[in-house]
Amino acid sequence: MTLDLVPVLPELLVVAAAVAVLMWGVFVQRDTTRDGFVIAIVAMVAAIVALGAIGGDRRLAFDGLFVLDRFAVFTKIMILLAAIFTASMSVDFLEREKIGRFEYPALVLFATLGMMLMVSSNSFLSLYLGLELQSLSLYVLAAYHRDSTRAVEAGLKYFVLGALASGLLLYGISLVYGFAGTTAFGPLAQLLGSGGATAKIGVIIGLVFVMAGLAFKISAVPFHMWTPDVYEGAPTPVTAFFSSAPKVAAMALFMRVLEGPFVHLFVEWRQVVVALSIASMVVGSFAAISQSNIKRLMAYSAIGHVGFALVGLAAGGAIGVQAVLVYLSIYLVMVVGTFAVILSMRRKGAMVERLDDLAGLGKTSPMLAFVMGVLMFSMAGIPPMAGFWGKFYVFMAAVQRGLWPLAIIGVLTSVVAAFYYLRIVKIMYFDEPVDGLDRVLGRPVALVMAVATVGVLALTFIPGPLLAGAKTAAMALFPAAG
Amino acid sequence: MAGITLDHYLAVAAILFTLGVFGIFLNRKNVIVIMMAIELMLLAVNLNLVAFSAYLGDLVGQVFTMFVLTVAAAEAAIGLAIVVIFFRNRGTIAVEDISQLKG
Amino acid sequence: MIETFIFYMYATILVASAVMVISARNPVHSVLFLILCFFNAAGLFVLLGAEFLAMVLVVVYVGAVAVLFLFVVMMLDINLARAREGMMAYLPTGAVVGLVLLAELVVVFSNWGFAPHIAAEVQAPMAAYAHLTNTDALGHLLYTRYVYLFQISGLLLLVAMVGTILLTLRRRPGVRKQTIADQVARSSRSVEVRKVPTGGGV
Repeated sequence: MTLDLVPVLPELLVVAAAVAVLMWGVFVQRDTTRDGFVIAIVAMVAAIVALGAIGGDRRLAFDGLFVLDRFAVFTKIMILLAAIFTASMSVDFLEREKIGRFEYPALVLFATLGMMLMVSSNSFLSLYLGLELQSLSLYVLAAYHRDSTRAVEAGLKYFVLGALASGLLLYGISLVYGFAGTTAFGPLAQLLGSGGATAKIGVIIGLVFVMAGLAFKISAVPFHMWTPDVYEGAPTPVTAFFSSAPKVAAMALFMRVLEGPFVHLFVEWRQVVVALSIASMVVGSFAAISQSNIKRLMAYSAIGHVGFALVGLAAGGAIGVQAVLVYLSIYLVMVVGTFAVILSMRRKGAMVERLDDLAGLGKTSPMLAFVMGVLMFSMAGIPPMAGFWGKFYVFMAAVQRGLWPLAIIGVLTSVVAAFYYLRIVKIMYFDEPVDGLDRVLGRPVALVMAVATVGVLALTFIPGPLLAGAKTAAMALFPAAG
Repeated sequence: MAGITLDHYLAVAAILFTLGVFGIFLNRKNVIVIMMAIELMLLAVNLNLVAFSAYLGDLVGQVFTMFVLTVAAAEAAIGLAIVVIFFRNRGTIAVEDISQLKG
Repeated sequence: MIETFIFYMYATILVASAVMVISARNPVHSVLFLILCFFNAAGLFVLLGAEFLAMVLVVVYVGAVAVLFLFVVMMLDINLARAREGMMAYLPTGAVVGLVLLAELVVVFSNWGFAPHIAAEVQAPMAAYAHLTNTDALGHLLYTRYVYLFQISGLLLLVAMVGTILLTLRRRPGVRKQTIADQVARSSRSVEVRKVPTGGGV
């Protein structure tokens, strides 16, 4: 058996960087947090380049446990970009709060690696291990600020519920394995498609358990309980990371599993996805209204966005997957930008995170207010902003596949959600200014903000390349359809 | 194996899994017991996998169990580390003591 | 016949000690019952022909994981009375959830069946490894076809190690530590031998 390592080259780069960060931190007798971030970011950029160079046709590695297709390439690039941006925003924060430790970039790299393995998994074995690599790193990151009671509490909650979700997922996997005798996605899809009608109930219960476990990871209602607490309690750069890369990875994994091995159980899983989607949209929209902490608000916003993305998945097929990928890409840009703004909310050297602290920002720091305004309009889905196109594509996909009611609920809840996004704009521009925020912006944070704003505007006016990229990525999940 | 079939093993695993889930609900105030309940769930999964492996005549189930054991050990280590720092901060291990973060 | 008896013995003790794990008053007892659970599960594994996993369960779980639990339980000074508070309050919800789950699982298993032609689907049929022991066969798979997963689990353990050290290690100032290298590196000049007159002192 020969070992073809080319498809895993990006992963190898990330692993090498993680180990290098750890070694550098241990052997150099000074604070190496900043060096670690530099190594991490360079490696992740290199991984993107490597993906660009080897991406393309579907390649299997390691006896079919690992697959690199256009879908994986697309989602991995999204994950890496999100990780790069959130990592570069973290440096200043950690130094100011004096909680910089060299393990932080290493853990970010390990989590990113886990996500990359997740979206490339082609068997339940590799799915499980990738997911756990990601989760374990994230548990530690959530509790990273160990002297902060809130952070540790958040980490503990996240850990307990995460471990429970893993348990459910595994039990589901064991049932599917028991019924089908295989854990590989390809044979499983064939088997379920060949009308193995007898005793399907075992597989369906297994599927339900698997979906419950994965729904936790994307924080879809009713598996969302951890999200607001973790978002609020964890250090802000960690929250930024949590709300970007892992969401994309878990969503991509959800699509790969449902549209892969379980594609022939479409009728069965669609009901569950529709239910998750409606519940997430409703909770995400209504619960956010009463929030006064901006990180908590972003948690409910993330729940709502997951609900909208699930509309596309419920539609199913290449159209649905394409819509979800477009939605996620736009969401990623918006959320990274928003967290860059949140990270720059400091007053007299201390972080502030209440919505009222934004009051009068339009007068005290017009640039920051402008950036936030653009992002909020886009988040709310006001035409013609990028966020509107994201919603447009998922709802169109739902309509095309005959899910009228779901699309209507989606439109209604996004109107409700628009209320609280626009309220932020109102607070910034029309409320009486409180003391201005500190005007020191770290260079990386300012850069991320600029990139996100330009990104949102670019996606608003020239969405073509993204649509095309998402389309080829989506087609990769459906080789038969060509 | 006279008399003992796959169903028997699956039933034991199902009971064990249910006890694990039940234990999480029952011990809301004691994180360490919650973690033990999670270990019970994973043990149930392992029993399922090994039983399927035996009755399917397939080794993959056992390989899977190996990895589940590895992950569960790593998970327990991290979980206990978080519990320890939680205790250092709060002097208690009750998850429900949470007044700072409303759930 | 004897196998049936052994199965029921292991299964009964397993379930009974699992009940004790989640309901014992003292967390130390919970851990001890957890260990009993692991032993009995290992017994079931042996019955199923998975000897290696049975040994791993005993060595890794009882030897490491359960001891880790025990260590933490004993290290933390847990208020036992408070830890049990509210147990009765959660009992009804928990019982309902548990019973529903169990009922569902019973429904599943009472109509359990394998997919048709399942023998053809199996990825690593045991028959191909019939000439090897269980440990040998697992090793053959683990280091060849599943080497990828083997590597990831190595990374997982690394993350667990880094994570636990990051979270719990504290460098306290003023703690005297033994530095063996320094002790070994002491030269003979740092020691002075003196002749002390009897009754005179140094």
